[in-house]
Amino acid sequence: MGTERKLENRRKFFQTSAALIGGTLMYSLIKPFEAIAQTKEEDISEDKAELPLWGMGVDLESCIGCGKCAEACKIENNVPKEPFYFRTWVEQYTVKNDGEVKIESPNGGIGGLKQSVPDEEIFKSFMVPKLCNHCTKAPCVQACPVGATFISPDGVVLVDETYCIGCSYCIQACPYGARYMNPITKVVDKCTFCYHRITKGLQPACVEVCPTDARIFGNLRDKKSDLVNFLQDNPTQVLKPHLNTHSRVFYNGLSSEVK
Amino acid sequence: MEEHYQHLYQALSQVDGYIYPNEIDLHWGLMIVLYPYITGLVAGAFILASLERVFNIKVLKPTYELALLTALSFLLVATMPLVSHLQSPLRSYEIFMTPNPTSAMAIFGFVYLWYLMVVLLLEIWFDYRRDFVIWSKTSTGFKKFFYKIITLGINDFDEKSAKLDDKLGYFITVLGIPSAFILHGYVGFIFGSVKANPWWSTVLMPVIFLFSAMVSGIALVMVIYMVVSWVRKVKIDMECLDTIAKYLFYILIIDFTLESLDQIHRIYEAEESFDIIEVLVSGKLSITLLIMQVFLGTIIPLGVIGFFQVYKPAEKIRKTAYFFVGIIVLIGIFFMRWNVVIGGQLFSKSLSGFTSFNAVYSGLEGYGMVAVWLILPLLILTFLLWLMPPWKKADIHK
Amino acid sequence: MPKLIFRLFFSFVLFVSVFILIQQQLKPESFGKYGHYRANSIDDNMMRTSYYKGEEKCSTCHEEVADLKSNDLHSGVSCESCHSPKIDASIECEVMPPKVEGNLEFCGQCHAMNLGRLKKGAPQLDFKEHKEGQNCIECHNPHAPWELKEN
Repeated sequence: MGTERKLENRRKFFQTSAALIGGTLMYSLIKPFEAIAQTKEEDISEDKAELPLWGMGVDLESCIGCGKCAEACKIENNVPKEPFYFRTWVEQYTVKNDGEVKIESPNGGIGGLKQSVPDEEIFKSFMVPKLCNHCTKAPCVQACPVGATFISPDGVVLVDETYCIGCSYCIQACPYGARYMNPITKVVDKCTFCYHRITKGLQPACVEVCPTDARIFGNLRDKKSDLVNFLQDNPTQVLKPHLNTHSRVFYNGLSSEVK
Repeated sequence: MEEHYQHLYQALSQVDGYIYPNEIDLHWGLMIVLYPYITGLVAGAFILASLERVFNIKVLKPTYELALLTALSFLLVATMPLVSHLQSPLRSYEIFMTPNPTSAMAIFGFVYLWYLMVVLLLEIWFDYRRDFVIWSKTSTGFKKFFYKIITLGINDFDEKSAKLDDKLGYFITVLGIPSAFILHGYVGFIFGSVKANPWWSTVLMPVIFLFSAMVSGIALVMVIYMVVSWVRKVKIDMECLDTIAKYLFYILIIDFTLESLDQIHRIYEAEESFDIIEVLVSGKLSITLLIMQVFLGTIIPLGVIGFFQVYKPAEKIRKTAYFFVGIIVLIGIFFMRWNVVIGGQLFSKSLSGFTSFNAVYSGLEGYGMVAVWLILPLLILTFLLWLMPPWKKADIHK
Repeated sequence: MPKLIFRLFFSFVLFVSVFILIQQQLKPESFGKYGHYRANSIDDNMMRTSYYKGEEKCSTCHEEVADLKSNDLHSGVSCESCHSPKIDASIECEVMPPKVEGNLEFCGQCHAMNLGRLKKGAPQLDFKEHKEGQNCIECHNPHAPWELKEN
């Protein structure tokens, strides 16, 4: 009779602990697959209709590759001046007559992009500004282990500088190469659409200085904005659409050679 | 800072083709190569131990406790390369406070704690408990102090308590097998789920990581068993050693099949990223992948052990061969991690160019630290083997 | 023996509870308000200093130059495009931003011949043919580039 009680206790122990442990394991297994829950930004804001949804248009038929945008961005946002850290940069594509595509971006295009292939070898050539695409389904936000990078209610992907642990997973996850590790602050940094300016009614610094209006910034929810007009008037594309990032930087005149 | 920039300017001059300007520096270096390697050794050693415990392969008994203690020694060191790699390590507690449910990396803290406390420590405790009680009565000094504390005040060492220990140890090992899979599998998922990187993004990544982990763990226990027996001047149980080698052979075949499948699939489909990956493998990774990982780390071991399955030469020859094979398998799997982590960052996401990896010897991310984090667990293991010698256990597991 | 098992089990439960308690304490306030992040970070990002002021601000003091510019081809180019604010000097332009060198290298940023730039709105010049060795501003007024100075 004593052994019966012992067996009973033992059985109960096994059952309860198995249930608890199994439950915890199951929960911890399922939890990471909440990638679907990533679209949380749709239910967070109280006044959804009032908040802007920021986006940018890039007109490749206007960009002359002067590099002023990259330079202004570095000044406005305290980006280290060395040529390894960029929130935005301009690439020069030179398609040669033999089909080879040469891409270059010396110092991100700061100082102006210079022709590097002789005239007679060039089939066509164009400039492409690049920046953070502020993806609505950002892989970087999905990857951050602590929640230091996030999408704000108005659609801007931001970094919490006081929270980032510097694991660089988001840099690996970004398909566009838009993020970098700031060597001075030791946290990850990237284009923020100049959040501190746009929330005060100003334009981002790169848009401010572009001499040919190749960058168009605006609120996608404002039917009268320049950006919406740009999108309506031109056939636009996003970079790497097959990755389904729902990027909110739209390019007009994107040629197939662009990486 | 200046030195760091100098190293980057040098890398800039070595860029081949076009890379996005932010990609000049490899963000995940030797420490991130080391972390999956170490957790792989842990998972692999544990799986070998569970072969004896759960699947009752009795011939492996001589290595059971050795495998568990090896797993523990390496697990204790596993976090170190990771934390030392962080740019802001003092904030690493955040991963426990606010883990992001969509991030594979966030599981780390929890699965590590779970595996360490609930699986490994408990299993070792249940296995040694009876011996702790006996040893606490017969030893002196530090050892006596340790044994008394570790018994947690329970002093039963009769048949019934031994049977219960056995049952619970079995239960925990059963729990431990999927836990070991998750402990290392999630690392594979960290890489496999990055759609931005075509070298990493494959469904097979967690499975490949897991099987190569098992290979490395088994090889590690094999080598350690031989070294410990040699140090103790004790005869090696050849049946046990032959069986370990046999399992190494089988798992290596599965691992090689999976990795080949991944590559064949890539070559056949030849989608967008294939052109640059072809250049990567035949160029920058030709030595570390084709020679070190495939030829040295897979083909030669398969050939040697495979040959032994058909024709068994003399014991002395087999012992030397197993030792040699164990070492090259360990090296080969290290390079497998290298090829994944470093290889994936050598080419640009623009698929148009390469940067270069210039490893340093000193500093927190250098080869020196790699040596430290690999030698430290061996020192811990030596200490554990002194503290809890498996060969001094009373044999009550019939 | 079962007493020990229950002891182990309850210490596990205790550990988990203490862990959860500490977690709630150490979690930063405002975390989780809008999503899995510290909501106050949005304010932190808003609070950064702005260095670029915008053309309108420049025009309030430099009216004449602004008028001159608005009637010529550089009307679409903002003041700060060429006169970038230097942050170590001051963020208010009472302290003069350094004088811009109107030389070939500077103006060439937009105007140097580059096949990638044709037909995009900025006149392209081959500087070897066009006045090599001189500074652009010796002939052109940068705020009114078609107003050529007499040679």
